[in-house]
Amino acid sequence: MDLRISFAFRCACKCNGKQRVGGGGGGGGGGGGIFGRQPSRMSFEVILNAVPFHHHLAKTPIYSECVCVCVCVCVETDRELVRVQDLTPEMADKVIWLRARVHTSRAKGKQCFLVLRQQQFNVQALVAVGDRASKQMVKFAANINKESIVDVEATLRKVEQKIESCTQQEVELHVEKIFVISQAEARLPLQLEDASRPEGEGDEDGRATVNQDTRLDNRVIDLRTTTSQAIFRLQAGVCMLFRETLTKKDFVEIQTPKIISGPKCKYNVYVDSNTHRHLTEFVGLDIEMAFNYHYHEVIDSITDTMVQIFKGLRDRFQTEIQTVSKQYPSEPFKFLEPTLRLEYTEGVAMLRQAGVEMGDEDDLSTPNEKLLGRLVKEKYDTDFYVLDKYPLSVRPFYTMPDPSNPKYSNSYDMFMRGEEILSGAQRVHDPQLLTERAIHHEIDLEKIKAYIDSFRFGAPPHGGGGIGLERVCMLYLGLHNIRQTSMFPRDPKRLTP
Amino acid sequence: MSMYQVKPIYEGGTKIDLPTCMYKLPNVHEQRASSCFSEHAHQNGEPDSAVRALEARQDEIMRKLFELKAAVDGLAKTVATPDADLDLTVSCSLASPSPTACTFTGTADLDTLLGKDLGALRDIVINANPAQPPLTLLVLHGLLCQRYRVLSAVHVHSSVSGVPPQLLSCLGARLTDGSARNLFQLGFTLIWKDVPKLQMKFSVRNMCPVEGEANVARFLFRLLSPDPSDVGQATLVDSWVDTAFFQLAEGGAKEQAAALRSLNAALGRQPWLTGPELSLADIACYCCAVRSGAAAAAPTHVQRWMKACENLGYFSRAQLQ
Repeated sequence: MDLRISFAFRCACKCNGKQRVGGGGGGGGGGGGIFGRQPSRMSFEVILNAVPFHHHLAKTPIYSECVCVCVCVCVETDRELVRVQDLTPEMADKVIWLRARVHTSRAKGKQCFLVLRQQQFNVQALVAVGDRASKQMVKFAANINKESIVDVEATLRKVEQKIESCTQQEVELHVEKIFVISQAEARLPLQLEDASRPEGEGDEDGRATVNQDTRLDNRVIDLRTTTSQAIFRLQAGVCMLFRETLTKKDFVEIQTPKIISGPKCKYNVYVDSNTHRHLTEFVGLDIEMAFNYHYHEVIDSITDTMVQIFKGLRDRFQTEIQTVSKQYPSEPFKFLEPTLRLEYTEGVAMLRQAGVEMGDEDDLSTPNEKLLGRLVKEKYDTDFYVLDKYPLSVRPFYTMPDPSNPKYSNSYDMFMRGEEILSGAQRVHDPQLLTERAIHHEIDLEKIKAYIDSFRFGAPPHGGGGIGLERVCMLYLGLHNIRQTSMFPRDPKRLTP
Repeated sequence: MSMYQVKPIYEGGTKIDLPTCMYKLPNVHEQRASSCFSEHAHQNGEPDSAVRALEARQDEIMRKLFELKAAVDGLAKTVATPDADLDLTVSCSLASPSPTACTFTGTADLDTLLGKDLGALRDIVINANPAQPPLTLLVLHGLLCQRYRVLSAVHVHSSVSGVPPQLLSCLGARLTDGSARNLFQLGFTLIWKDVPKLQMKFSVRNMCPVEGEANVARFLFRLLSPDPSDVGQATLVDSWVDTAFFQLAEGGAKEQAAALRSLNAALGRQPWLTGPELSLADIACYCCAVRSGAAAAAPTHVQRWMKACENLGYFSRAQLQ
């Protein structure tokens, strides 16, 4: 028994789409765009001997021979797959091939309406009984499971009335051929419509919304919602803008070791990390720089970088921001340029005026930080500001003390929407002073010997700080849980997927 | 007869005075006598008579000092502006009996006017639209810098995408020496933002935002010198300020011409709009005239008056370009 099955593969070698890897298996390319690149548009037909092979997504066995041979086979076909976002009225009456996911399918008598989706774009398709399609074909189309990946040959037609529910509103596909490339299970653990519904709406109409744990357990499906796509595109944007801005300022990107020996401190500090804003694994973006005359140069550099990132997001990612705010509404992010810089004593005074009781050298608790953020927002109308000159007693041992006042230090924190995103300082660059400070904090000098030694051969005055990518993204968009901005989050209770 | 009897452990019956008042607050109305510092507010009880005598002596000394300063200022004015009348200015300031016709320089005055600072910089935040730069406030900023140590800052809000460079440097060069914020007596933060009307925020807990350039100008001028004690004079100043903002700045061509004519008439008789001394009225009218472009076609007295204004250094702030 011979079967003709169509495959498409991403190219493993760097031939830029000209060659294809041949091999067995019944998978199609990633139409949901999880990895951001469209799969190769080439496909080829393979004639195989019939050996039952159970594909992990399909219920019925697909007959194929499992051959894993990484041989580049150059196959050119004359079939070009058009992208859904390119379907415009200009292409009307053309016959095109398309690969997308079935978003919904609905049969009505002799017709079947499908909505085909590709990343954030979708288009309506129609299978009607006629000279191109039989009744069985319409039934087949209606029974295709949601989220399956299909190849479709169709004629593009203009519509008189705009189709409001699709992104491609002025056109419709009249299907002539339809193939299932990768079938999805009939029962999905969560429905995409429910996952895209805003929280309030679900409660009102009695329709379901998906809670976070279910989402995270079935992350592959949850990542297909337009909101998730927008969030991760924006996160990629933050990374890109970070690189762009710093490269313009002549910074050099380095990869640091991820595993280091740790000093044993007498006071073990336990941060409750099972909260809405902590992950056990995250992406940190750090800046360290030498300065000439005053550590404020470092603050200015970091704040300027952040402002450029915010401006870049405001100007170039507005679509993504709007998409996210449809499901998770929030106030747009506001900031000042140059960034507002307040002193710690000022912050304390503002809190005291608002009725909080705290000592001059106390650290700010999280509720106080949030209150201070609100007070600053009220007065200056900014969601991003720097608090400078923290008390020395609440900072780590390598923080440079303030020369004019020994109770304070040359350190600073930056806040977005009242939550801390960066903790930085001028570092102690003199090994003598560093040793003194370490002894004062009762740290075992042997453990940090390598660190102190690095300053013995002439180190310039320097300072810096680090931000968490996921936290910046979460606070910029006004989301409430950091797991929403981490693709596969890891925390004390979650190790998979 | 009772079965058991126990001797009383305590002498019952002592009367205990229960307080009837749960919270006591000082009287809000009596407390804030905003402008006059000669009359001391009774905050939580009568101050000691000895203290009061001391304060009275200090006030007397300060008053004499300020009179002397005003006299010197008057002399300085004659050097700078050829049109001002020496005798009139000097004699007026010496003759004025009330201690309130003088200027403020100290932190103590700011404490009375704006409330104690509690360690935080007293920051005046002004949100202005870059399409309509508030020239009056820039001039007043110059005056404030002469009297107090002011930390000035200019920011651009995210609601505005670009601002011409002269608006960024309108408060002077940015301080980069990293000196501590709380060493300054006053903060002046100008934020270029997309707002329909100019807005000032000072103490968010106690004050609602002040809107409109005229009102903010009045607020800032009160930090420099108190309102004239003569009610008629105060009304005159106010009416000129209103003329400036409603007719000169925002009015049509006819209104502007009418305003200029009345300016001309007033200036024919005296060097400044409200008498022998510069007041808020002059600053407001000058800035509005400059902004509306009416300066070119102004009558003679107005032209002379504008030259006199420009001779005073801090008016150059109004020339943005």
